Amino acid sequence: MKQQPGKLGIREFVAIAVLMVGAKATEDTPAILFSKVQNAAWMIPILSAVFFFIPLYLLIKTMSLYQGKDLFSVIKKLLGKYIGFIVCLVIFVISSFAVSFDTRTYTNIIRAFYFTTTPNLIIYTMLMLTCAYGAKKGLQHVGSVSYLIVFYSLVSLYIALGISTQKSNIHAMFPLWGPGYAELIKHSSMKLTIFAEFFILTMLIPYVKSNKVFRKGTWIAYVYICIQISAATLLFICMFDESLGGIAYPFHIAIRFISLGEYIPNVEIIFFIIWIITAFIRFSAFLYINALMFGRLFKIKDFEYLIPSLTTIYLMIGIIPESPMDVTLMLKPLIQNMAGPLFAFISIILWLVALVKGEFKHAKNKNSM
Amino acid sequence: MRKKISKLWKKGLNTEPEFNEETNTEIIELKKQDISADYDQNLATFKSLFSVPDNIDVKVREFTITTLNRRGFIIYLSSMVGLQIIMDSIMEPLLDNEHPAKNIPDIVSYPIASTKKNIGEITEFITGGNTALFVDGDDQCYLFETTQISGRSIEKSDNEVIVKGAKEAFNERVIDNIALIRKKIKNENLLVETQTISKRSRNNVFLVYQKDLVNEELLKTIKDKLSSLDVDSLIDLSILEQHLEERPRSLFPTLLYTERPDRASAYIEEGHIVLLMENSPASLILPATFWALFHSPEDHYLRTPYGNFIRFLRFLALFVAVFTSSIYIAITNFHVGMIPPDLLMAIAGTRERVPFPSIIEVLMMEIAFELIREAGLRVPSPIGPTIGIVGALILGQAAVQANIISPIVIIVIALSGLSSFIISDISMNFAIRITRFLFIFSAGFMGIYGVTALFIGGLYYVVSLKSFGTPYFAPMTPHSFSSKDLLIRHVPMVERFRPGYLKPKDMVKQRKES
Repeated sequence: MKQQPGKLGIREFVAIAVLMVGAKATEDTPAILFSKVQNAAWMIPILSAVFFFIPLYLLIKTMSLYQGKDLFSVIKKLLGKYIGFIVCLVIFVISSFAVSFDTRTYTNIIRAFYFTTTPNLIIYTMLMLTCAYGAKKGLQHVGSVSYLIVFYSLVSLYIALGISTQKSNIHAMFPLWGPGYAELIKHSSMKLTIFAEFFILTMLIPYVKSNKVFRKGTWIAYVYICIQISAATLLFICMFDESLGGIAYPFHIAIRFISLGEYIPNVEIIFFIIWIITAFIRFSAFLYINALMFGRLFKIKDFEYLIPSLTTIYLMIGIIPESPMDVTLMLKPLIQNMAGPLFAFISIILWLVALVKGEFKHAKNKNSM
Repeated sequence: MRKKISKLWKKGLNTEPEFNEETNTEIIELKKQDISADYDQNLATFKSLFSVPDNIDVKVREFTITTLNRRGFIIYLSSMVGLQIIMDSIMEPLLDNEHPAKNIPDIVSYPIASTKKNIGEITEFITGGNTALFVDGDDQCYLFETTQISGRSIEKSDNEVIVKGAKEAFNERVIDNIALIRKKIKNENLLVETQTISKRSRNNVFLVYQKDLVNEELLKTIKDKLSSLDVDSLIDLSILEQHLEERPRSLFPTLLYTERPDRASAYIEEGHIVLLMENSPASLILPATFWALFHSPEDHYLRTPYGNFIRFLRFLALFVAVFTSSIYIAITNFHVGMIPPDLLMAIAGTRERVPFPSIIEVLMMEIAFELIREAGLRVPSPIGPTIGIVGALILGQAAVQANIISPIVIIVIALSGLSSFIISDISMNFAIRITRFLFIFSAGFMGIYGVTALFIGGLYYVVSLKSFGTPYFAPMTPHSFSSKDLLIRHVPMVERFRPGYLKPKDMVKQRKES
């Protein structure tokens, strides 16, 4: 009765993408953006989306030459065995550290806002255990769960943002251009990391029903997320104005501010539930993709068995930093400033190599024949 | 390497002694043979096979067939046949026939008859309630289907009660059950196939399906699974259910067990396969999804808004039943700030004199509730109401007065207990009641965070369940084409398609009027 593992449909794929990338609006990303370009921070997601559009478009175009192949196989095919391996390894390492520090950030948030007396390690272990279990179940099921959840997750985010407009002031968004065009463009190009997950998501192509579904799903999620992060950041700016600079996790401060009428003053737990569900799904998908990368890198076929050990390693890396500040101010920027531009660079290089090698003409000839 | 280790491990742990069966190769060999033309030998064979005369309800009657002037005997189980039928339509013609005739079918007027030669097969038929007639000099045996087993008549459905719609339920006679389905689906493509699944008691299972709808692959999987069973006896459909399930140890059911023929036939019409068994007052519908277990037939009998209303109620009840107790524990222990101050004061006031932590309180009450429920189910019906009163009064009122339980916990438990009754499927009901305890523990451990972690873990698990290859949440996710009868239902005119995950031969239930 064993069945072939099913492939992701467009619903599940978009749900995973939206939960994976969209969650950035609810952690420290808006605050980091604000610290760089102040009240124009909301434009950065849009501008970076525009910048990242080109490499992503080229990457997807290159990938479409190789039907049903994942990113690593394409890299190895185009760049050769050795250079390809090194590039893949770099991607894997960056993505691994990103997972470690991101999970640590989430643990910090949970500890700082909701479970102040619980040891970090316990919160962290529970987060990783749940995610590892989900990842072990396989991508299909991560997709299914995210499809079941995504609707409620988004609605609750809208409700939270909607209620917080009551306490916000639209004038905070002026002056419109913040520190000026030059600064904006400079930082947008550095913050491409917001969309770096889309680069990593191309690993999943063999698990998506068809290339068309993948393309369509990616663009839907891409546009949606760019709007969502930008809108969320704008709302936080309007709500906190200058003080956003001193807030690490604006979403969680915001849901502490808001209340449902006079009678229920503290509703943060309700939003916390949805937020943590999103986090679980996000990291399940991340862990799965990382295990997949590792498996492709070292030619391990049953990479699902790697997930528990990889999770343990990530947990151990994530627990190293002593304080939340180390993570947010030192380690994460390291990854964030590197990953996005690097991934964009790799995408463009891949396209160029494909162009030089004449793969596009090849494909055209094949099609015309 | 891993396999080797696990094998060694298993060997070390396995303490089951080896049992050797006492040999009965003689009988097995005998059963493979054909009957002989010799009257006395046949008589002796069957008398020894059925241990006559020790076996009191095996009747052998010897006589002479007047017309043919040959000896013959009939053998039957008196407890399983209609004696009147044998008297009137078999014995009487054989003994008093005045018209000249040459062979048995011309003499005996009984309509349902067949001939067999193999001893084993004949034995099977006799144990099934057939009457076997042996004639001297004839090397075949005549079998008459005279089965008449007493049992319940068709009664009202007890466990799946609905207000609007058909009330009759399956009973223990499979013939009646098939008739109940046949009378709803008057189509020659409705097939009733039978398959013997156990070796010693030879229990039959009946597969009922629409030949021109059902997916052949699914049918084959089910038949293979049925024929792969290697058991001596399988007396009930509910035991077969456990044999068929992919994960028999799982908390969640993956097959739908229903006693309502209307429900069974509705599923047959969609392309599902229904299993029936003699002696089981129910049917087994496969494959089943979460939605099948969650829905009630009444959802469709009621008008659309009302049907959706009770669906929403049920969905709410599902959440209330699973989460109320755990959320109460989580909020009172971990997230006190969430409760409005006035309410917090009220709760704290009632808990003031209670010496236990709230998780102990809730657990005590939950267990008490389960005890009352189980006791109420098992007591003889005249005492039933008493138990209810004792349970409610003593355990509720007195516990509060004795300061063991705070009144708010009573409300919480009553609410979640009551809600759990709304899920009508008994297996799903159990699943929800048990998961409730898991959630209580996780809430006690880590508050809302623990509850959420368990919820997501559970969701991953539930999503990964499969029922004969059909994902548990199909057709919602993974998406497949269907008439979208999931959380809400549409008007019947819009529900035009059969569920796509079954891959039926005909997807469209109603063509659009052109």
